[in-house]
Amino acid sequence: MLAILPRLRRFAIGLSGNPADGDDLCQMTIERALTNREKWQEGTRLDSWMYRIMRNIYIDEGRASTRRVQTFVDEEAGLSVGADGGQEAQVELTNVDRAMAKLPEDQREAVLLVMVEGYAYKEAAEIVGCPVGTLNSRLVRGRDALMEILGDGS
Amino acid sequence: MMITPEELAAFADGEVTGAREAEIAAMVDADPELARKVAAHKALKDQLGAHFAPILEQELPENLTAPLKSEAEIVDFQAAKDARTPKAANDDNPAIKRWGRFAGPVLAASLAVAIFLPRGGDGAEDYADVQLAAVLDSQLVAEQGSNADTRILLSFQNDDGEFCRAFSGADASGIACRDTEGWQLRHSGGAGDQQSTEFRQAGNEDADLMAIVQEMAAGPALDQDQEAAAKEKGWQ
Repeated sequence: MLAILPRLRRFAIGLSGNPADGDDLCQMTIERALTNREKWQEGTRLDSWMYRIMRNIYIDEGRASTRRVQTFVDEEAGLSVGADGGQEAQVELTNVDRAMAKLPEDQREAVLLVMVEGYAYKEAAEIVGCPVGTLNSRLVRGRDALMEILGDGS
Repeated sequence: MMITPEELAAFADGEVTGAREAEIAAMVDADPELARKVAAHKALKDQLGAHFAPILEQELPENLTAPLKSEAEIVDFQAAKDARTPKAANDDNPAIKRWGRFAGPVLAASLAVAIFLPRGGDGAEDYADVQLAAVLDSQLVAEQGSNADTRILLSFQNDDGEFCRAFSGADASGIACRDTEGWQLRHSGGAGDQQSTEFRQAGNEDADLMAIVQEMAAGPALDQDQEAAAKEKGWQ
C-alpha cells in the first residue's frame, strides 16, 4: 500500500482540486481500507480497490467541500498572478487546476483515471462502476471541455 | 465512413485494436482535421500527465504514511537476515539469487499485503500426522499441482541445521521441521490461502508464515535442486 500511496495521493489531489483536501481524502481512504482490509479480495488489484474506495468517499463526502475548493483555487490563481519568478509556470499549472475544477465529477474522475493514472478504459470503468461506453463518452466530454478551456493544447 | 468523437479519442489512447484501428489510422492519415484532433488529444494527455507528475516526487505527508508504517511487517527475509548476520551480502551472491528466484513471487505479493498481516499464532509442540507428514516427506515445491490440498510454500534450513518446510492447506497451515522423531510443528496457523497458483497472491496466513520463516531461516530458501537433494536424504 505504501508503494501505491504516491499515485493514490495524486488521484486524490486531482479529484479534490488542491493538496490540502486531497491529503484529507487520501487519509480517509487509507483509514477505510485498513478498516475493511478483509474485504479486499486476494488476486485482485490492490490499487484498483483503493482507487474505488477513494472515489466513493469523494462522491459521498466530497460534495460538501466542492464550494471550498472553488474558492481556494480562484484565490490561489489571483495570488500567483502577482508573483514574480516562475510566474508563467505557476499560472499555467493553475489554469489546468481551474479547468479540471470546472468539469463535472464524473468527467473529472474519468479524465484522471485514464489520462493521468494511465488506466485502460475497462479498468477505469470497473473502478468507477459504469459501462466502458459510458466511461468513454464521459472522457470525451471532459476532454473537449478541457481543450476548450485550455486552448486545444497546441 | 464515419468516426465518432468517442472512437477518435479511444484511438488516440490506443484503446482501439484490430481491423478498426487500421481503418481509423487510414482515415486519420487522409484527413488533416482528424490528425489535428488526435494530436490535440495526445497533447492534452501529455499536459495533464506533466501537471500531476510532480506530486509523485513529493515527500508523503506523515499523517498518510504513519498508519501504514505502524502496521507494516518486514517480509524481506534475506534483507533481515543480512542485517542480523555479519555475512556480506551482495548481488553476486548466488544464494541470494536462488532465494530471490524462489521467493520473489511470494515476496512481491507479500509487499502488497504487508500491512494486512495478522499477528502470528503460538508455536505448537506436536508432530505432523501421517497424512501431513507424507506431504512434507514427498511433495516438492516445483512438482506440486496448483490445486494440491496442501501446498508447500518453501523449504529452508533453520539455525540448528534442521530442514523445515512451510505449508499451507485448506484445514491448516504452518511450519514443520524434521527432527529425529519426525516433522515437528514449530508453528501452526489457520487455513491457508487456497487458490490455484494462477491467481495466487500471498494472503494473510501465508504472509504471516513468511514472516515467521524469516525469523527461523538460517539462509535462503532451498532451490529446486537442493530441495530434491534434501528429500533424497530423508530431510535429515
